[in-house]
Amino acid sequence: MDSHGLAWLAAGLGVGITVFGVGTGIGPLVAAALEAGARQPETAKDARTTMIIGAALIEGVALFAMVICILLATK
Amino acid sequence: MSNDSTTTQAGIATAHSTEAQPAAQGGSVFKEIFDSSLGDHHGFYLFHYHLLDLPYIVYDRDSGLSCYTSKQELLNTGVYELHHGHPIVKARYEAQIHAGKPDKEALSFAHPTFDASVTNLVAYQWLAMLFLGAAFFTAARKYKNNIMKAPSGFQNALEAMVVFVRDDMVRPNMPTVKIADSLTGYFVALFFFILTLNYLGLLPGGHPAAGAIGTTTALAVTAFFVVNITALRVAGVKAWFHHLLGGAPWWLFPIMVPIEIVGLFTKPFALTVRLFANMSAGHIVIFSLIGLIFFFKTLWVAPVSIGFVVFIYFLETLVALLQAYIFTVLTAVFVGLAIGDHAHEDHAAAH
Repeated sequence: MDSHGLAWLAAGLGVGITVFGVGTGIGPLVAAALEAGARQPETAKDARTTMIIGAALIEGVALFAMVICILLATK
Repeated sequence: MSNDSTTTQAGIATAHSTEAQPAAQGGSVFKEIFDSSLGDHHGFYLFHYHLLDLPYIVYDRDSGLSCYTSKQELLNTGVYELHHGHPIVKARYEAQIHAGKPDKEALSFAHPTFDASVTNLVAYQWLAMLFLGAAFFTAARKYKNNIMKAPSGFQNALEAMVVFVRDDMVRPNMPTVKIADSLTGYFVALFFFILTLNYLGLLPGGHPAAGAIGTTTALAVTAFFVVNITALRVAGVKAWFHHLLGGAPWWLFPIMVPIEIVGLFTKPFALTVRLFANMSAGHIVIFSLIGLIFFFKTLWVAPVSIGFVVFIYFLETLVALLQAYIFTVLTAVFVGLAIGDHAHEDHAAAH
């Protein structure tokens, strides 16, 4: 396996690990927001806004990782 | 029907030609797609049709500032050459770059010092500005002409969205209504500009200008200045410096101050990368799904592929709106955080 093969392997593994991390991050977040909305429907809108902002922050970190993976794959 | 089969054959031929490249350069296929469809170009294209020549503006330390109205003029003058159609290379280094083994001198001097050419994505941003200018000035004139009438038509749609930006994004995040209203103009412009860029990029043949890191960097730089200038203006210089301590006890300042200073810059940086990556990610997924057809070399994959592409496309129409929302609302949140609780006089009035 040459260095390009290793880079692709790293990019593929990196994407997998990133997606795993995002899943474990956004999953509980959305679950908690839904729960909050079910318990107190009048606060559902606030919870949703906060959820979207939190999801965006998690996603931002994930996208940093994705960009690194793309750089590895196009090296 | 015959037309369909010829395109397919052409497509398979392309697949073969890309496959013929040595394995070590496999990444370059991806890179080529990346450059040709997501990257920036000189000249305005719709699909592969060259519609318009855009001016080349190039500054170099040796030859000074030069402007060309078209590609032909640039090539005729002979100072610069185009390498593979995109990057501008000085004519005397072109042969080396083309051969693929530039020496040290060529690497550092082959490209002009500063390339300020009007490119494809800049043209898309101008299109967005023209569209927004036309839309908002039309709506504004309608307000002026019928002061006492209820808004109607397009004006009504714009009003609904502007009020949404003001009431759901800006006001909840600012300490006072006065500060919120002084910044609403900026946030409305930000939201609608990103939204228009994203939807222009989703039109058939369009390019997503927000999918280029330069565009999003520029937007985030404006956000950086708005965040800090508002904080300095509203909360004062002392409070701004106090924020660098992050609310920790004073003896923690050797740790907190560097962290907070880095934090000042990571926020706009995260905005940059989030918008850029989201807008190019959808297009990359679509390319990859189309690429599956050529990867498997059979027509039977096509319906599956196209089905997924349509799904991703609709997802992207959602993402285009969501990213414009997120960029705007996060900027508003950052402004609110930077001001902190230093301007609470008419907080009750905000609710």
